[in-house]
Amino acid sequence: MSDNNSEQHKITKDPITGAETTGHVWDDDLQEFNNPLPRWWLWAFYGTIIFTIVYWVIYPSWPTGLAKDGYIPGTSTLTFKSDKIEDGKRTIAAGPEVTTHWNTRALLAVQMQTDPNELKRQEMVKKVAATPLDTVAKDPQQSAFVLAYGKGIFGDYCAACHQAGGQGVIGHYPNIIDDAWLWGSDSADIETTIRKGRKGNMPAQNTLLNPEEITEAANYVLSLSGEPVDAGLAAKGKVIFETKGCSGCHMPTGVGMKALGSANLTDKIWTQADVPGAKDMAAKITAVEHVIANGIQREMPAWESRLSNDEIKVLVAYIKLLSSE
Amino acid sequence: MAQSAAIDGAGIGISNASSVEATYLEKYNYDIVKKFALMAIFWGIAGMSAGTYIASELAWPFLNFDIAQITFGRLRPLHTSGVIFGFGGNALFATSYYIVQRTCQTPLWGGKLADFTFWGWNLAIAIAGVGYLFGITQGREYAEPEWYVDLLIAVVWVVYLVIYTMTLLKRNQPHIYVANWFFISFILAVALLHIFNNLAVPVSFFGVKSYSLFSGAQDAMTQWWYGHNAVGFFLTAAFLGMMYYFVPKQAGRPVYSYRLSIIHFWALSFMYMWVGTHHLHWTAIPDWTSTLAATFSIMLLMPSWGGMINGIMTLSGAWDKLRSDPIMMFLITSLSFYGMSTFEGPMMSLKSVNALSHYTDWTVGHVHSGALGWVAMVTFGSFYHMIPKLWNTTIYSLKLVYIHFFLTTIGILLYITALWVSGIGQGLMLRAFDEYGNLAYSFIETVVFMHGPLVARAIAGMFIVTGMFFMTYNIWMTIAKRNTVTDEATSAAKA
Repeated sequence: MSDNNSEQHKITKDPITGAETTGHVWDDDLQEFNNPLPRWWLWAFYGTIIFTIVYWVIYPSWPTGLAKDGYIPGTSTLTFKSDKIEDGKRTIAAGPEVTTHWNTRALLAVQMQTDPNELKRQEMVKKVAATPLDTVAKDPQQSAFVLAYGKGIFGDYCAACHQAGGQGVIGHYPNIIDDAWLWGSDSADIETTIRKGRKGNMPAQNTLLNPEEITEAANYVLSLSGEPVDAGLAAKGKVIFETKGCSGCHMPTGVGMKALGSANLTDKIWTQADVPGAKDMAAKITAVEHVIANGIQREMPAWESRLSNDEIKVLVAYIKLLSSE
Repeated sequence: MAQSAAIDGAGIGISNASSVEATYLEKYNYDIVKKFALMAIFWGIAGMSAGTYIASELAWPFLNFDIAQITFGRLRPLHTSGVIFGFGGNALFATSYYIVQRTCQTPLWGGKLADFTFWGWNLAIAIAGVGYLFGITQGREYAEPEWYVDLLIAVVWVVYLVIYTMTLLKRNQPHIYVANWFFISFILAVALLHIFNNLAVPVSFFGVKSYSLFSGAQDAMTQWWYGHNAVGFFLTAAFLGMMYYFVPKQAGRPVYSYRLSIIHFWALSFMYMWVGTHHLHWTAIPDWTSTLAATFSIMLLMPSWGGMINGIMTLSGAWDKLRSDPIMMFLITSLSFYGMSTFEGPMMSLKSVNALSHYTDWTVGHVHSGALGWVAMVTFGSFYHMIPKLWNTTIYSLKLVYIHFFLTTIGILLYITALWVSGIGQGLMLRAFDEYGNLAYSFIETVVFMHGPLVARAIAGMFIVTGMFFMTYNIWMTIAKRNTVTDEATSAAKA
């Protein structure tokens, strides 16, 4: 080892670059030059350190018990209107103006109170909130705002089921841009649907009806929409429809009932059985049979606790505009 | 003397295997290095294939096939653990055991203990990986394995530390080579990170589930202290150790600056520990922690670049190798990607930039420019240098190395570019306003926009996996060639 040492501690000069090695050699030929730190590297490193110190002076930085808040607050400040809290109720930006050291909560408050986009939006929201829905729909500026704002709310909360265009998914989620409304088309009905959610429930008939009866009922249901079914089977199905309980919810004429959310079977609009997508009559019958046999259990969640009153109003107006287009 | 020996012996790996190298076959424990190296390639293929598959699921969702076990959420940790700990971890064990023996001129300490680290490490990844498919996870990024795997990893890691330290202690060299500083800092830091981030209480002795000792913001900060230093010490410091050995070896040139290596080593080790919280900007953490994370990230830029400068400048006097030697191309390109991603990282850690980039694919692209561009490429270059030496032979085909190089480079560039478009595009869409001051786009619209870039990203992954197959074939043939030569030599000797 000592022999190695004396041999290895030979500082050599590189013929190509003229740099000197440190004199250490490992693994036969591994060496290092003793080049100084590149100047630009060193100055850039100092530059980042200066940047850092300036940053620490301006913004909250080191935690220390000596500082009032437990950390050095920095020189930068933010001024904004504080919230008013009265009887446990918080009113945003209704309190006195305050100035604090820079922090992210204060920054949010400042931006919500000064950003031109946000101020424009808040002004429009206020206007829509104070206007009756019918008037909103007739006012070009307000309805344009509702379409723009509603698209965002609808896209974030509703489109996952009802799809971005509101067309729904047959067999799962109702289409809300056609003229058929399970739970009513008034603004008040739509608002209730959004606030409270809905539970759609049709009992499965396969324990009450035998397969032949289900086929007959399916033929009758299709005949209500004017489909060219077997008249004999449809006639038998009519009897089943009227005597085995179907008419209790769907009404004797098959037009459905808003209070129960039971579908209108006469409007040629299908939300469960994919009749429009069926390739022939047999497939249409099979699709309807499937619904009759297995029933429907579906639920739309309540949004009351997740959306603000303003958002719900805009959403109702948006859906009304969407379905009337 | 050193100069000429380097140029003759280490050249570009096509010169005849030297007789000096033959003596090392007996002197050093190459068996353990071989095992880890081959296992790294296995995990590389498995982990990168899993990555390409889940990238394809994002582009073409039908690939989920409604099978829970192969959905993105289950396969994603398999991909990350497979490439980071499987591919990267095995590659680091292999190269660190190789480098510490050769630069200390002493065989590995501990004999069979090294085999324990091999079997223990790979068993841990396998158990954890199977668990992910069935939803067994701590839900901590890059620390998904549950408590029983964590315990196994901790034991393996301590044994690794002991083997490495003992080998350094009995070195036949007055000085410890720079690569070993980086490996030791990596082993120490990862031990610290792994143990503290995984402090958890199992629900029962026979159950898989455990709960973290920390909660809320503290839990998040512990996790990202771990997560970012896994990047800092596992994927950066350790691979710098790899770079510090293989770049000068392959170039046949001395390391550019000993002084720079000291300064950037200590600066890097000191700065990295502070920056993890930049993963949590604009969340429920104290503002002063955000400040410290951002500023230490900025100060980390030059210490990170120190490694790049030292690697690339080592080539001064041998620039021609960039044209003639595909192994050198791998190593130098890896340093270029390293420089790029260590510049991008500090920029993204600034809060104003982070507000745009965070939660978008930009982050994912950034990680991959580091993980593929730096980590994978420096490993490929090192393996093409090391594996022929382990079997005392020469590489089977340099042409295949070229092909692998170009497939990988094209794949990475396509990958990063696609995710810049996807990430920055989504970031801009999510903050765009319409004329009424509303947010202009809903989330789903940004997803529709991302489809094109996500397809490009999946194709980029296919390039990289294809490159891996070329590498596997080339290495297989290199080893097979060596065995043929040995057989012929043996039979000739007998005759």
